[in-house]
This record gives sequence, C-alpha cells and structure tokens, in this order.
Amino acid sequence: MKSNLGLVFFPAFDWMISPTHPERQERLLYTRDQLLEEGLFDLEQIREYKPQLAEISDLQRVHIGIPAISRLITPAHLVSAGGCITAADSVMSGEVKRSFALVRPPGHHAMRVVHGIRGFCVINIEAIMAAYLRQKYGVRKIAIVDTDVHHGDGTQDIFYHDPDTLYISFHQDGRTLYPGSGFPNEAGSPAALGTNINLPLLPGTGDEGVHRLFDGIIRPILDDFEPEIIINSAGQDNHFSDPLASMSVTAQGYARLADKLKADIAVLEGGYSVEAALPYVNTGIILAMAEMDYSNVIEPDQTGLRRQDDRCNARVDELIRQIGDLWTNRQKLSREALAKCGDTWSRRKNIYYDEEGISEEQVETVHYCKQCNGYLTIQTAAKNTRFGSQSAFIAIVEESTCPVCRQEAYDEALKAKKTAKWQYVFVQDKTKGNIENI
Amino acid sequence: MLLGVDVGGTFTDAVLVNSGMIIKQAKVKTTQEEVLQGILQALDIVLAGSEPSVVSRVVVSSTIVTNALTEGKTEPVFLAVMAGPGMSTKERFPTEPYLADGYVDHRGKIIKSVSVNEKVFAAMSVGKKVAAVSGKFAVRNQKNEQELRIKLKEAGFERIFVGSEISGELNFVRRTNSAYFSAAVYNKFKEFIGQVEDGIRRRGITAQVQILKADGGTIPLAAALEQPVETVFTGPAASVLGIEALDAPAVNAISLDVGGTTTDIAFWSGGFPLLANKGAKIAGYPTAVRAFHMRSIGLGGDSHIRKTAQGFEIGPDRVGPAMAIGGKEPTLSDALIALGCVSFGDVKKAREAMSFLAETDDTVEEIAEKIVLASVTKIEGTIAEMIREWNLQPVYTVNDVIEGTEFVPEKLIGVGGGAPGLIPVLGMKMGLPVEIPAGAMVANAIGAAVSRPTLTATLRVDTTDGYYIIPEAGIREKIQRDFSRSTAEEILSAWLIEQADKWQMKAKNVEVMAYEEFPTIHNYYTTGKIIYLKMQLKPGILHTVTGREVVF
Ligand SMILES: [Zn+2]
Ligand SMILES: [Zn+2]
Repeated sequence: MKSNLGLVFFPAFDWMISPTHPERQERLLYTRDQLLEEGLFDLEQIREYKPQLAEISDLQRVHIGIPAISRLITPAHLVSAGGCITAADSVMSGEVKRSFALVRPPGHHAMRVVHGIRGFCVINIEAIMAAYLRQKYGVRKIAIVDTDVHHGDGTQDIFYHDPDTLYISFHQDGRTLYPGSGFPNEAGSPAALGTNINLPLLPGTGDEGVHRLFDGIIRPILDDFEPEIIINSAGQDNHFSDPLASMSVTAQGYARLADKLKADIAVLEGGYSVEAALPYVNTGIILAMAEMDYSNVIEPDQTGLRRQDDRCNARVDELIRQIGDLWTNRQKLSREALAKCGDTWSRRKNIYYDEEGISEEQVETVHYCKQCNGYLTIQTAAKNTRFGSQSAFIAIVEESTCPVCRQEAYDEALKAKKTAKWQYVFVQDKTKGNIENI
Repeated sequence: MLLGVDVGGTFTDAVLVNSGMIIKQAKVKTTQEEVLQGILQALDIVLAGSEPSVVSRVVVSSTIVTNALTEGKTEPVFLAVMAGPGMSTKERFPTEPYLADGYVDHRGKIIKSVSVNEKVFAAMSVGKKVAAVSGKFAVRNQKNEQELRIKLKEAGFERIFVGSEISGELNFVRRTNSAYFSAAVYNKFKEFIGQVEDGIRRRGITAQVQILKADGGTIPLAAALEQPVETVFTGPAASVLGIEALDAPAVNAISLDVGGTTTDIAFWSGGFPLLANKGAKIAGYPTAVRAFHMRSIGLGGDSHIRKTAQGFEIGPDRVGPAMAIGGKEPTLSDALIALGCVSFGDVKKAREAMSFLAETDDTVEEIAEKIVLASVTKIEGTIAEMIREWNLQPVYTVNDVIEGTEFVPEKLIGVGGGAPGLIPVLGMKMGLPVEIPAGAMVANAIGAAVSRPTLTATLRVDTTDGYYIIPEAGIREKIQRDFSRSTAEEILSAWLIEQADKWQMKAKNVEVMAYEEFPTIHNYYTTGKIIYLKMQLKPGILHTVTGREVVF
C-alpha cells in the first residue's frame, strides 16, 4: 500500500551550536518522545525513511563556500541535507504521496555565498533539495512556502533571480525581529519580479490572521503559479510559546495550515519552544500530512496564548491587496524593469553573520542573455571569519548556459584573477555542483 | 539435567540435555484439544529410565498463547484508556476502549487527574472479569494509572493489567495493546500453566518449571502470570535458541526454519540472534512485546502448489502431506523429492505430482525446478523486506548515520524438515554458503531447554523535577540533583537482581541495553538533566549443545 507520508526523522542529538543555544542537542528530544509515545511510527499511513548523506556536489549546486563549503559544515549538515534528498526521492519515486524531513540543522538563513554560520544555518537544505529535484527529476516550477516566523532571507537570496521558483514567506515584521528583511518590495530581480513574495505580519498575529492570509493570497497565488512541486519550509516559531518571537499561532493553526497547503515535501526549519510547542506542532503537521485526524492535538498548556488584536487582520488585508496587485501585474512590471536595466542588473548587499560576527559585503550582477538564462557574477569580501578576512570573485553558469555567456563568464573570472584583488576566483557549474578554482 | 519441551503446531518435542549433550529426545503428535496430554507423553519418553530428580529445570515453550490470540479465542476485556489530547485512538486497539479523563505530559507532569463517567464506565464493564489500564506518558508518571487501577479493583475486576508495568518504553499504543492481550489470555493461560505444573509434579519432578518468552528468555510460571502476553510467539524463539545452542553462526547470517506450513526467518550477528527494532505485532496490532527480528511466511513442505498465469504459486495454504507419502495434492515436498533434494516417500508418486502441474512439454525435472525457484524467490523477497526493516533503526545522531546498521548476510543456516532441499538452492541464488546443522530436528526443544532467564526494566531520572521512576516496578522516588549514571545503574541492576532472586532465577548478569542523557535548559540556563536507562538480564543460552541425528 502506498503510504500518505514519508517521514525522515533525524533529531541530531549530537549537533549543537552551544549547550544552551536554541539550536542545542535536545531541541527535538521532547518531539521524539511525543512521536514515539503516540505510536506514530507504527501507522501504515506513514512510512519511515533513514536519511542519506548528501554529497558535496549536492551542496555546491547551490552554494559557494569560502574558502570551501566542506570547511564550513559539520557532518550533521550532510545528514540534514541528505534527509531532504531522501524525502524528495520518496515522493518522486511514487512510494509515498508526500514527505516530511523532520531534520536539523536548519537552513533557510543560508545564502548562496557562505562564509560561516548565520541565523543558525550554514547550508540551505530546501534550496539544495530544489536543485536536486531539478537535476535528477527535471522538475522546473517549484514553490517554496516558508511558514517560519523569521524571514527566510537565505532562500530569498538564492532564488531571487529565478522566475521558476516561487518563494512565499510570511513572518513577523522585520522591524521587530531577526533578520530584519522580508518586505513586499523585495519582490525578485527584474526577470523574476513577482516570484518572491514577502508577507510581514504584525507581532501577535495568530491562527485567525495566518489563515486569513493563506486563504486570501497564498492559496490563490499558488493556484495561479501551478508549481510541479510545493515545498514547505516548516518552521514552527510562530507558536505562541516560542522564546525567540512574538506570534500567537497554535499547534492546531499549524496543522490546519499543513492540511490546506498539502505540500509535497515539508522541511523543518526553526521553532525553539522545545517542550511546549514542538512536540504538538510536529504531531499536528505529521497527522495532517498523513491525512489523519489531528483535531485533538492540543497543547496541554495554553496559558501563554493571547487572542490577536484587530490590527493584525488589518495588516493581513493590506498585504492581500498589495501583493494581489503585484502578482496580477508582475509580467508587465518585469518587462518594464528589464527594459530599464539593460544587459545587467546589480545589487549590493551587506550581510551580517550573527553567530560569528562576520560582516560581508557583496555585489551580485545578473548578466542577461536572449539565448539563455544568462549568468551571474558575485564579488564578496568578508571580515572576521574563522579564516580571517577573505574575498572572492565568483562566476556562475549552468548546463543550459549558451557558449557565448559561458565564454564571457570565464573571461570575467580570468579578468578578476589578473587584478589580483581577490583571494579566490571560482567558476560554479550549478548543474554539476562543481566549483572550479581559477 | 535440563528438560526442554516445545509444543508446536504439528509436533510436541521434548529433550533432556546434560553438560551440553542430548541425552534423550522425543517427538510426538501435538494433541490439539488437550495440549497437556502430548506434553506428558513426550515427557514420559525422555524420562524413561531416569530418576525424575535428575531434572534440575524444566522449560516449556507452547503455542497456547499464540493460538488463543491469533485465533481470537480470548475473553472480553474492559480496556480503560487515558489518551489525553493527541492523536485519535480510533481503531488503534483490539477493542473499543473506555476513555477516562486524565493526562500526563512528556515530562511526567499531571495535566489532568483521573475522572470517570460512572454511567459509561458501568455500561462498558458489564460482564467483564479482567481489565487493562493504560495512560499516555504513564511511564513518566504512573499516578493516574494507579488511581484508575484502584477504581477498577473496587469495581470488582479479578485481574487488572497496567500498561506502564509491561514496558517502561515510550509507545502508549503498544503498551495499551500489550496490557489488553495479557488480560485477554490471562485465565486461559492460568489454567494451562496450572495443568502443566500439576502434570510435571505428578511425574515426580520437583525442579522449577519455567516458560519461554518471545525474546528467547525464560521466566518461572508464576512470574509469567504477571505478563502472559510475553509468552506469545515462543515457537520461533525456541527455534532460534536451538540454532544458537547447536551452531551459532559467528558471522552475519540468516537462519531459516522450514517446517510443514511455514518458514521462520531470523537474522544473526556476532553469534547472537537479532532482536527486532520494535515489539511484536499480535493479530495485526503492535505491542511492546520484545521479540526476535523474525518473519514467518506461509511456505513449507506441505504448501499447496498452484499454476497461475504468472507461474507457480506456493502456499500460503497447506494441503499436505506430500503426494509422495499418500497426499492428494502436489506440495513443495513433492517437488523436492522429484528433484532428489530430499529422500523420503515414493519418488514415482512425487514425479506424478509434478506431471499433474505440467501444461507445456516441460519435463518433470523442469517443473520441479521452477517450483523450487518460485519458492526461494518468495523467501528471498521476504529477506529483502526484513533487511529494509532492520536497516530502518532510528538514527538519532550523526554517528548512527555514518556507522549505519546495514545488515549484510554472509551465510544461510537451514533447519527443519524442508531445509536440506530448499536452502541450498536459496544459497546458490543469493550467492551465500549454506549450513544445515546436525540435531536440527528437535532444535526448538533444545532451545527451550538451555535458554536463560531474562528480565528487563527501565529507569528514568529527571533531576530538575527531582525524581526517578522505574515503571516496571511501580517505583517513583525523590532524588538529589547530583544524580549520576553510575547511581542509576546501581539502582536499576539492584532491582533486577532482587526480582531474579524473588523468582529464584539465579541470574546475575545484568547489562545496559540503552542509555541516554540530556541536559534540561530553561531560559538559556542548564537546570538539570534527564537520564534514560534500560537494563536486562541477558537473554541467550546457558551453554551450547552437541547435536546428533536420531531417526524417529
Ligand atoms: Zn525561525
Ligand atoms: Zn547566453
């Protein structure tokens, strides 16, 4: 019998940032206890999978690590990324209807270029999985719905120029929470304008507001985009008891969301109320994804739960209108932006790595081409990394890059090498996951 | 001398073992209606000419509990469950439960005390004499379960089984089902062991009588009454222990006990049979009963053979005996006889059986070969599933992933009547060497005779909340904050040894099966720690046995 849900459970009891850090070894201990006690692993609706180990090339389809991704990760990262790959395989092979990678360490704050750990993340496990889905199964259109309380700035960064990846994130307003980004005007670079959707919510927003937002804008956009695969970055820190944020979502709220979203693959992200929320939210999500009754999954202690105030819904309604306009007009807006910028489009970024105190300056340039998807160049310089100050010039191509663009990309890399301004000069082949040291 | 008795579906075997040698063995027909009669018959054969006082221990392995449970010949149970919030309990238990109020959370905090709806309670308990009680997270705090038990006792139930006393491990559904099944077979089991003990005593044997459990350990009859469900599936367990006694493989191996109706498959590593990752399933319901990693498939010497469009289908129904020994329909044994793999019965009749199945111009040999190939292919498929299941052990750490639990077999061991014919073919197909140990015909009884007594218990410590708990013992004690692993091990092994002494089990070899330790953190400060410890009196065999073949 085909099971409804493939479950990859990897709590990484031996991985932590520090013993009392939110990302500590027992983060999923109480969740494990709840799942075991409920007997969830015995259900025929659920099929258990063991995570595989990801390859460095899987990571390098997305990331360029400075000096090398292998020097920045721990073995646990290969397991959590591998767990996502296992989850993807379970669905694509048709063994299960959908799957959930309940794994750590998390990833949605990890950007394309990696100098260290930021927002508890080193590699972006959803992005690695999306790249794997494209490479192995030829999937083109992917939607990533990020239900973590924090803006998934890493995922946004990676797919900012990709019109085939729809990234939708709702989160607590960046003016009140890390990482401080995630506003509606961050809508994607000209060729991908409108496929990066940010929905910043007021602190205190609860089940009512989140579902109003889902029904009012997220569902309609998803239906319109018609993705082949929906990925859920299933962070759980919108929960009313989360110590890092100030939202009011319950386990029921999350479970109903999973039920409505019907993601093909969910991946755990944040969620740091390890005793009061995670055991129940995860049970709820698992049951919802397995198409089972979750109506009785209720936190035993709801004393911290406050009703959302009226301004929360007002913000939701404003977002529905604003983003609705953006979505409707996105093709026109994209054409206009492309006409305005010419052959290239650049952005300058100052990126702070909270965990290690690294500050990075980055200039990213998209090179457009009529024959292919063009190519990307990145200049990066970071201070305070565990390797000291470091800098790199990176040119990024893929299998479908036309010969002209490919030549240009290599020329740019060689030119950068000649200036002797950069410590490293790399050419990344996104399709192969190969990084060439020039 | 050790006396072992195994009551199987077809035969009841008995064996007398002394210093690793089989002194005497017997094989009689199992008396289906009156199991005891067969047991006594076999006993009389092996004891003929010996003083009853030479017997120092008797171990019985019987299908009585298995049969009662799988055939549903059990008595009605009042099942009282405290599920609290969480997943629905619908269709998760073998009977409609009475849902009492009361809930404990994952840290062992009582969120809601017990309360009972008297009307529903009364209505659902009508006509029931035995009961089972189980609460979610009761292994972290037994107070609610104990209160509900008192309530049931006052209501007049003659025997009440409690989920958290069966196993201290997490899995509320499995504990509940275990308690239910223990209650369901309690009276039947009690009557059976009463008769067994009586019969053995009447033959002048004064030694302790023990019964085999699914995990291959033994337990005194009286102790077994505390958890009858643990004596389910002892037949396969006895067979595994028999192999362990006769010829434990040193390498990763797969043993196959090919009987008349079924083939029992077990995995071996480092000289020991592997225990399953999860408890046994009974009548389709998962339980907390510890058992070997085994599968029983409906394929044996007496399996019916049918021709289908896809080729030959073997079993799972049994039609035996083989046509070679007077049966009416072709069986797997006929194919093996026709090929000359085994030598019993009339070869001509076996060949005739094969030609019944012919449609094309296949020769008898070709048909028989196809049948044997279909059989080993079926076995191979089950082995592949078992490997997947085994490899699915939880991975909690990076090390678990990197080290892996992959099981790669290096050898096959065949026991039982059909093994000499079938297993070499399987070995050839899988590219593995095959061994058929001598003495394998009464392996089950040998296994029973030499198996060790076992007990398992768990201890959980929460220094922040200041207590430890041993659910199997119903113990919850206050503790100081500086509680260490060694203290935990001392407490738990002391309790296990005390239990062993209480039942005169003479077992001192306590070992750690699992250990976990985590800090508890509140607002970025470490407030204490949680320890989980599981220990056991090690199962296995007392000593090896030298086999010899005896013609019956
Ligand atoms: Zn987060
Ligand atoms: Zn081009």
